[in-house]
Order: sequence, then C-alpha cells, then structure tokens
Amino acid sequence: MIWKRQIPILIVTIVGWITLLGWFIDQPDIQEFVNDDATQWFDILASFAIILGALNLIKLQVQKILYQKPGWIYSVVAVMGFLFAITAGFFVKGVDDSVAQWGAHVTTDGTLFKWMFDYMFSPMSATMFSLLAFFVASASYRAFRIRNFEATLLLVSGIIIMVGRVPIGSVISSWFVMYLIVLSAGIYINVWKKDMNTTFVFVAVGISIVTIAGFMYGWPIDKPGIFYLPAIQEWIYYYPNVAGARSIMIGIGLGIFATSIRYILGIERSYIGE
Amino acid sequence: MKDKQFWLVTGIIAFIFLLYWIMGHPYLYEDRIVMLITMFLMGSTLMYNVRYAQMGGEFYLRPIPGLKAVEEAVGRSTEMGRPILYVPGIQDMDQVETVAGVIVLGHVAKMTARYETSLNVPVSRSIVMKAAREACRESYMIEGRPDMFNEDMVHYLTDDQFAYAAGVNGIMVREKPAACMYMGKFYAESLILAETGNSIGAIQIAGTASQAQIPFFVTACDYTLIGEEFFAASAYLSKKPELIGGVRGQDMIKAAVIVTIIFSIIIMTLYDNTGIGFDVSKLLTIR
Repeated sequence: MIWKRQIPILIVTIVGWITLLGWFIDQPDIQEFVNDDATQWFDILASFAIILGALNLIKLQVQKILYQKPGWIYSVVAVMGFLFAITAGFFVKGVDDSVAQWGAHVTTDGTLFKWMFDYMFSPMSATMFSLLAFFVASASYRAFRIRNFEATLLLVSGIIIMVGRVPIGSVISSWFVMYLIVLSAGIYINVWKKDMNTTFVFVAVGISIVTIAGFMYGWPIDKPGIFYLPAIQEWIYYYPNVAGARSIMIGIGLGIFATSIRYILGIERSYIGE
Repeated sequence: MKDKQFWLVTGIIAFIFLLYWIMGHPYLYEDRIVMLITMFLMGSTLMYNVRYAQMGGEFYLRPIPGLKAVEEAVGRSTEMGRPILYVPGIQDMDQVETVAGVIVLGHVAKMTARYETSLNVPVSRSIVMKAAREACRESYMIEGRPDMFNEDMVHYLTDDQFAYAAGVNGIMVREKPAACMYMGKFYAESLILAETGNSIGAIQIAGTASQAQIPFFVTACDYTLIGEEFFAASAYLSKKPELIGGVRGQDMIKAAVIVTIIFSIIIMTLYDNTGIGFDVSKLLTIR
C-alpha cells in the first residue's frame, strides 16, 4: 500500500513545493530543475508511456477485427495505417542515405514518411479542422435563436461585432443605425401597448427628431460615435468582453491555485484513486 | 492531523521562515515578495477553511445545475441502455484541468458502477489512460462491483488533436451514447465533439477552464461547468468536508480579490488625478 499511496503523495508534495517555491528562489540549480529538468522528466516518462497507448490501441482494433464487432472494417483501416506508419518510420525510407539519414527522413521531402505526412495525414487533419466552419454555423444558429433576453443580447452584440469588423460596417452611417433603433423600438412599443396610434406617434416623433438632428449636424457618418458600428463593436470588444473574460480568468486562476494546494498538501488524493 | 500537531508544524514553518528572514533572506527574489506573501495568505485561508470543515463546520454550497445533472445523465443512460462517453480533454497529466477531469471521472465511474451502466473513456495520452484506469478501477472497487470493471473501458486513441476528434466522433456516431461528458482541457476540437454529441441527441455536460472553448460548450452542451465550477466539481460530488472547505476558502479569496480591485481602482484614481497616495500598480504587478 505504501507504494500506491504514501510514496506518490510524498513525490507530489516534494516536487510541488519545490516547483511552487522555485518561482521565488534565486538559485540556478532550483531554477534549472523547475524550468527544464522537471518538464524533461515528464517528457521522458510520456515517451515511454506512448508504447502502452500504442499497444492498447492495436489490441482493441485487432480484437474488433477478430470478433467482427460492428464497424470492424474501420479497425482494418486503423491497423493498416498503424503498420504503414511504423514501416515508413522505422524500416523503409524510400530514398538513399545520401538524400536523408535515418531520423532526418521524417522531415525530408521525397521520403515515404514525409509523403504519408503531406498527402495523407495533413489533408485528413485539415478536413477535420474544416468541419469546424460548419459546426460554428450550426452552433451560432442555435445560440442566436431569440428565446429570451440573454439570447437577444447575444444576437444583437454578435451582429454588431460581425458587421462592425468588416469594411461595410464603416460605411454604414450612425444616422441609419438611429433610424433602425427607432423602428425597432416602435416594434417593441407596438407589442407592449398593442395600440397603433401610440406606435405611430412614437415612430413619427422618433424619425422626426433623428431627421432634424441630422440636418442640424450635417449627417456626419461617424457621429454620434455611440451609434457608429465600428465604434460600438470596439467598445463591446474591449470593455464588457474583456471584463467578463477577466472575471472568468480570476475564477480559473483561483480554482487552479486551490486545486494545486490541495494536491501539494495531500488533501485531495482522488488522482491516485483514493 | 490533530490540532496540536497542526499548530506545531505551522509554528515550526513560521519560525524557520522568521529565522531565514532575520539572516538576510539569501536567494530570495525581493521583488516577488508581495506575491509570496499573497500566496501564503491565500494558502492559509484555504487551510483554515479545510480545518474548519474537518472539525464539523457546515457550509452552504450553491447548487450547480451541471453537477446535479451528472447523476441525471447516468440515470438516463441506464434507462436507455446506452453507454456514457467521457472525454477527459486532449492534454496530459501535467495540466491541472486534466487532473481535475480524471478526478471527476472517478466520481462518474462510481455512479456507473452503482447503476450498472457501461462507461467509455477514449483518451489522447497514455499517462492519462493509466491514471484514468486507476481512478475507474478504484471507483468500481469502492462500489463493490470489481466484476464490472474492464480495463478497456479506458482506451487510447491517438495523441493528435484532430485524429482524436475524428476517433471520438466515430465512437459517438456508431455507439450513440446517451450521455457525453467533456471534462478537461480542450482546444478547437471542443465544438466538433460537442456538435456531434448534440446531433446524436445525447445529454451533454462539459467542464473546462479553457477560456476560449467555454462559449462553444455553452452553445452546444446542455450544462457547462465554467472555470472554477469545474475545479469545485470534486468537492461537490464527493461531499468530503475538507474539499468543501477548500471551495469556501476559494470564495473568500475571490471576495478579497474583488475588494482589492475596488480599493486599487480608488487609490490609483486618486494618485493619477490628485497625486495623493502611491502607485498601487507597481506594488501589485507580478515581476
């Protein structure tokens, strides 16, 4: 039990304290351990552990093929890909030693491994990444559906940010936006009061005020600034957005700190299955 | 640790530090002293609350819908006879979010053992695979169902980000899990996973501290644990007093941070406009 419980906790505590206090101690050996050695140890461990992962992967895929479980044909592709990558990485370079030595062959043009990387792996990764564009569209559609006040706020700020960031946003006059606001408010008044006369008076007065103000000030495209889309989007982006993001960051930082302290002091032991 | 032992250890540490300080505190980065003191204060607040909880102090914990939904999701999967898919992020155990994800996995595994529901945990790092297996094994043992534990319920897919996303998507589309949980560190694959989960009609719960991915999860998942809620998940699910005490300590520190920000703004405004006071940003800036 001592090897499964006490020793791991002791290692976590000692290394945790050294790493934490290393930030405050001006001593080259400790700095070197914190910045280089500890991370290199982790990398070495992870490199050995990859064998476990690879064995697990191949075991499961071969089992699927042998027992012909549903979707076993995909496992055939996985196993073939695995074997091909190993062959290209360790056994067949595809070029002479004069072109590329073993080791350098993974990045040299013309080798089998590089061919596999450029013409199979990269396009497939790019395909998965490109799916993101469609998923963003479907997720945005769902998020922007007007269901409640928050969703409406999200929709309005989303439109302002999108339009305000593209060239067409800067040619939309702030007076046009003001007319739009008057008309939108008119819709709201109509829904609220359900009286056509009130709505008509509201919209007529609103449009008149905007028109008179426009003639008085000469219809400048970017004045008043609070109705100019690029200015509004900049304000949303740099103030409410940053404030919200920072509040989340503070919470995350405290969460990480509290969690780390719990590990270092041995209060939280779930990571060793306790 | 008993009260006497605790104060003895605290006293010894304080005495050693005092001695070190009197000796001229060699090797100490003096310009980081404010941060060191803040860290000790924060640590002490956490420890105070942990000990208070251990001694029987009771706290109110705000209910978090996302954590309540975990049991609901397991129950739904049981009723539908479909598995639960748990994704502990795409990073290694050197990320605290991955560790938190593995801890939450332990709690989820306890529930699946209790409800006799199958659990599928595809991982993208070998070390995470080993850690997640241990967490699941212990959970099944604790629940008295070691027979239900199968090593291959936690299995490795690949280290590559989009290959992993493709692998998990394939599992989702083929096995149609009733519940998908994403707890850990995520990057661009978050939306690919969550949207696929949404398309198969699974109940989805996400938890991450990856700030850029939170909006995607909020949009595509039924429940999302945002930032600190995710780190508090272990305390909520385990209901262990020492962990709950830590959450309370965290909230007290947060309140202190808010007060510090407000006072700093006032002091800074006064200093900038009237010259009264001092430049508080110099004191608080991390060097």
